[in-house]
Amino acid sequence: MHPILADARKLLWYVLAWLLAGVGIAALLRLTEQAEWAGALWFALPICLVWAFVALSSYYVCRSLPYSQRRWPVALGLFGGASLLSALAWLGVGEAWDSVGLLVGREKPFVAMTSPGWVMYFAAGFVLYLLSLLAHDVLVAFESVQAAARREAESRVLARDAELQMLRTQINPHFLFNSLNSISALTGFDPSAAREMTVDLAQFFRRTLALAERERITLGEEVVLCEHFLAIEKRRFGAKLNAELRVSPAAAECLLPPMTLQPLLENAIKHGIRQVDGGGTIAVDALVRDGWLHLAVVNPVAREDVPASGHGVGLKNIRERLAVLYGARARIGWQRSETQFAIEINLPIDKEAVS
Amino acid sequence: MSPTTPLRALVVDDEELARRLIREYLQGHADIEIVGECENGLDAVKQIGALVPDLVFLDIQMPRLTGLEVLELTGRRSGVIFTTAYDEHAIKAFELHAVDYLLKPFSKARFDDALARARTLHAPANGTPESGSNLAPALDALVARRTAPLERILIRDREQVHVIAVEHVECIEAQGDYLAIHVDGKCHLKPQRISEIEEQLDPARFLRVHRSFIISLAHLQAIERPGPDRHAARLRSGKRVPISRSGYEKLRTLV
Repeated sequence: MHPILADARKLLWYVLAWLLAGVGIAALLRLTEQAEWAGALWFALPICLVWAFVALSSYYVCRSLPYSQRRWPVALGLFGGASLLSALAWLGVGEAWDSVGLLVGREKPFVAMTSPGWVMYFAAGFVLYLLSLLAHDVLVAFESVQAAARREAESRVLARDAELQMLRTQINPHFLFNSLNSISALTGFDPSAAREMTVDLAQFFRRTLALAERERITLGEEVVLCEHFLAIEKRRFGAKLNAELRVSPAAAECLLPPMTLQPLLENAIKHGIRQVDGGGTIAVDALVRDGWLHLAVVNPVAREDVPASGHGVGLKNIRERLAVLYGARARIGWQRSETQFAIEINLPIDKEAVS
Repeated sequence: MSPTTPLRALVVDDEELARRLIREYLQGHADIEIVGECENGLDAVKQIGALVPDLVFLDIQMPRLTGLEVLELTGRRSGVIFTTAYDEHAIKAFELHAVDYLLKPFSKARFDDALARARTLHAPANGTPESGSNLAPALDALVARRTAPLERILIRDREQVHVIAVEHVECIEAQGDYLAIHVDGKCHLKPQRISEIEEQLDPARFLRVHRSFIISLAHLQAIERPGPDRHAARLRSGKRVPISRSGYEKLRTLV
């Protein structure tokens, strides 16, 4: 909607300005002795009132031609053409309204303009619309500058959120302290398992730290990280947790932002496996098709109507993070059936720097 | 403490290794006998009801129901030792109400301390009433503010436990000492005061429109005027709920 129409106060001032212009036109008519005061005002004020709203249309004319794709001949043609059309309409309305004077019982039209008078009137219509166009152009430019600044601020915030999210993933306190508790338990009856788990935990954190510094890693590297993660979680959840990772060799070479797959597995365990009595299997499939990398994670969920608390926040974070990094080119979707949760991510293949 | 009456303990944790650790730590305490283990909150609710243990080792973050939800459903207010790996909210609440808890991983010494404290609080021999109920107000407060705003409502119906997501709740009606919670055409009864649940619910989603009614704004369809100065809310299901004058004022500022 037009910014002036959206604000009653602005609209009032705007209409008042046009009425003032109407008084000015009437005064000109009077000065050039083409009408007496009453007729001139009767003629000019209603037309200006109507034109106040017609001129607002120039906002949309300006918006149809954004600065970024503007060539001067086109802009001149459009502005000139629009002004010309508007001036013709202005002339027609003027003449029509003038003769209405006769219909309402006056002896003569509101104004008795000579031909040069009508030419001047026509020129005034042209100039008024052109002025309106120019004023709107400035307004539109101002708006787009503001919008760009806002967008930039938003994407900065999102990028920082993504970074924070990543830091949190690196040091998920829940995961860390529970793992340490498991190690503490294992030391009592299975010291070698405790040692293995310690090594897995160390490897997981070491790799996370190393990978997080890079903008892109291969899926293969991420999978190694996930294997350490799963080894730890398997110790914690025992036979409840099974995982099948099927990653095609072509997919393993694809580049993607670090910590794309790992949070999906973490979600699958937290909201899926953990909630199901007998546990289950997380299936991960990664393959390359038609220039896209497809990543799918499927896990069982509890059938019950027990609503999980806080579900969906993690997924939203992943979606936002991919949106920041890939824009509209990344696709992520998920669906939940009664017993299963499936999430699929499609990313354009990025292999340029296989180094 | 006479060795002839051992304390009966229940261990609740969804991780086998965590339960095993508590078992190991308890081996040195001859006066404590483990009567059961549970791996989720629902199971814990059942076992606490069936076994009536003297002592419960209760994990906070569990599938189905959290430790605090287990307390809410069972009404248990004493003989509880919380265990948690990391839960900012719970820990803050524990500190606030001086409730003992174990942070995983915990040492044997810390575990023994908590146990000693629980023993003195339990004091079964002399049975002084105030020592056993010392923790009750603290735990009451803890359970009442377990999560703000409330996301799910728990109802215990004999042996069954219903967990209802608040977005499905249409309206809540006070009926004597009970709340009638209307969900999907069904009505569940829960012993609670309406002012208490009003405090727990998200004020942006639920509104107390009457002395004995809270409605969900998402389920509100229209405000009707059955008479001069009288208002009623029509909900999406077709159900009508009376609105008091002050309720109408609140509703008007919100809608």
